[in-house]
Amino acid sequence: MARSTSQPDSVPALIAEKSSHARWTQIGKSGVIGIGFLAFMFALCLGSLPWTLGSAVGEDVPRYDEGDPKSGRLPPSWWVYDEQDIARSRAAVDSEVYQQIADEYNISLEETLDSTKGPAAEAGAAHWPRFLLGSDQLGRSLGVRLLAGGGISLGIGIAAAMISVGIGTIYGAIAAYMGGAVDSVMMRVVDVLYGLPYILLVVLLAVASNAKVDEYISQSRAKEKWIQKQAIVMLEQSSTQPVTKRDAREYLAGNSAYREELFVQATQKYPPREISKPMRTFLDVATLLIAIGGVSWLTMARVIRGQVLSLKNQQFVESARAVGASGRRVFVRHLLPNLIGPIVVYATLAVPQAILQESFLSFLGIGVKPPLPSWGNLAAEGLSELNTFRSHWWLLLFPCLLLGMTLLAMNFVGEGLREAFDPKRSR
Amino acid sequence: MTDATIPQPEAKKTSAVAEQPLMQVKNLAVSFDNGSGPRIQAVDGVMMTIYPRQTFAVVGESGCGKSVTAMSSMQLVPRPPGRFDRGEILFRRSNEDGGHVVNLLEMSESEMRSVRGNDIAMIFQEPMTSLNPVYTVGDQIVEAITLHRDATAKEAWQIGIDAMDDVGIPDPEGRMKAYPHQFSGGMRQRVMIAMALACRPRLLLADEPTTALDVTIQAQILELLKDLKAKRDMGMMLITHDLGVVAENADVVCVMYAGRVVEFANVYDLFDDPRHPYTRGLLASIPTIGHRRDRLVTIAEVVDNPEEFKKLPGADQGITPWWPWHEPPKDLKRRDEPAGDYVLRKVAKDHWVGVWRTEALADDNSPAPDLSFCVTDNPQ
Repeated sequence: MARSTSQPDSVPALIAEKSSHARWTQIGKSGVIGIGFLAFMFALCLGSLPWTLGSAVGEDVPRYDEGDPKSGRLPPSWWVYDEQDIARSRAAVDSEVYQQIADEYNISLEETLDSTKGPAAEAGAAHWPRFLLGSDQLGRSLGVRLLAGGGISLGIGIAAAMISVGIGTIYGAIAAYMGGAVDSVMMRVVDVLYGLPYILLVVLLAVASNAKVDEYISQSRAKEKWIQKQAIVMLEQSSTQPVTKRDAREYLAGNSAYREELFVQATQKYPPREISKPMRTFLDVATLLIAIGGVSWLTMARVIRGQVLSLKNQQFVESARAVGASGRRVFVRHLLPNLIGPIVVYATLAVPQAILQESFLSFLGIGVKPPLPSWGNLAAEGLSELNTFRSHWWLLLFPCLLLGMTLLAMNFVGEGLREAFDPKRSR
Repeated sequence: MTDATIPQPEAKKTSAVAEQPLMQVKNLAVSFDNGSGPRIQAVDGVMMTIYPRQTFAVVGESGCGKSVTAMSSMQLVPRPPGRFDRGEILFRRSNEDGGHVVNLLEMSESEMRSVRGNDIAMIFQEPMTSLNPVYTVGDQIVEAITLHRDATAKEAWQIGIDAMDDVGIPDPEGRMKAYPHQFSGGMRQRVMIAMALACRPRLLLADEPTTALDVTIQAQILELLKDLKAKRDMGMMLITHDLGVVAENADVVCVMYAGRVVEFANVYDLFDDPRHPYTRGLLASIPTIGHRRDRLVTIAEVVDNPEEFKKLPGADQGITPWWPWHEPPKDLKRRDEPAGDYVLRKVAKDHWVGVWRTEALADDNSPAPDLSFCVTDNPQ
């Protein structure tokens, strides 16, 4: 009884066809818009990095740092200029240019500078410095700085979020899955790290990695080794007994003139390594993102641990074990896919958090060092330029607008992904 | 629906198959760490024997150790806090050359994995949560197959379709691609059964397979299990606390209380002539349709009556049913071992009752109860 297989034709396939494995297609409209915006932002900011970080022909300064203080704090070129803006724009133009215009229209230089209407004024205005998104206090183009800053902010945000999600997921999931003493010890470690002021951790990480970079550049360790070896060779010539490293160290400490001499030779033998400017910038940024990522995985680990603890006691985990799946298989195939929701949500939150932390650390002088821009420190600069007499609104608005829109797009994508990966929500 | 008591002609011919036990639980004792307090003795000296083609029902109230016994035989008891204190679970992995018998409690985790789902399969009480919500049911059945069979993905998929067809799921090809939430409870339980039976296990542990389902679906699922069990010469341990289900489906019944077996008999004897007061109380408390009563009998009414404990044959020689809430008899001869104050004693043909180890039973070393009884061979 109870077998309806005898008439398969009478039973329609209901929904089975629609539930395919291609869940990426179910991401939703807002998710698609978010992905589109993010893709555009990434392409624009990261794609323009070689240009913004590079320098113009014949110049040594990278484009993001290029500017003339005389043309500082000019509003976007499409904005209505007030008297002060006009005066500063004029001041930024070489007086020879105005002299030429005065000659051309047969008027005096003063008249040319004072004229606000007419062909002479227009000819002068054609030489004004123009910035699509305005300029900052040092006369640098905000647009270029936003592009460069976007590349750095997005890079740090994504990379730090990936590091924190990666470490946090694996750590939290292992702690919860193992349970018992392992769980206790692992989570107490997290508690201790939580208890430490995170700035301290970031500073420690940043200092440690900076020291490594310095060591690489100056080759100090290789030098020391070479000096010690030379001293041993020298001492062995005058001694019958074997010379230890300790003897060499003591001899060098007591004989600083000899040491200096060796040091000069060592520096010749191991000259400081060349490290290009972009490479140095990259190393600084990498240090920062390791520091941020290395600190912010703690929350992730706790979130994931909680999720795994509740999933672990679900019957389907038990039933997977009952069909003979190994512990690792249960973990990888049955637990992790169920974590996609919280992971995606947390990741979309971790990206803005990392961007904000980066700007905070940059403010403290640990992170992105001026003149290198990031959205966070551009906004911070913009805020300090805001005052009741002259607003310089563009310096605050554009960085915040880009930051806000990017974070919003990220949330859309996160929401879309979560829905797409939740089979119950798909239709 | 076929009534359990109506003999099925084709089953009769195969009665000679049931000769060697499939699984034997001997003196199993499992305890759990309780953190601060003393260890909880969940199972204490349990003995049972299951034969192929037999439906072996384990009955008892919540927390009496039914599930722990079943979980132990798959080593699914979490350890720690759980611990196997004593005993063995012998399982016959094949019938050839007199059979290959293993002790399930002594197997390593990797050996155990080859048993789980392959030789012994389990279906759980909650079909709603027993399937992983993020995979299609096809993926999950195929996983169960590929873990034990050397099948390609395509072959496994086909085996999966056949398994879904066997459990009566319409349009198995299409339904393989559906997610668990697209199934009803009864259908999900069918999927669980398909998954459990896809590798053709020799023993099926059904841990309250129908508790979460309504009665009509219950009847369908149980009929399906009975059907598949007969087709495949499979043994089935049916864990339940529904005596109606037991009466309809079981061949042998084992009543448990507080981690021990209090009564063990074939289904007819148990229902016609219960010997332990607890079993009597259990049966008396079932309301009967068409039999008007103002109040139902409670178990307590039966087990609180000292006269009930004197009805066992041999009561005059000091053989009294074991009951954890009673003071042990004065002539108790406790052995220095788990459940040392208790004997599962044969009181009649095919009938065992848990009694105190008194003077008269001091040297009693009863073997595990052994009953190859099958309702289909012994219609009544």
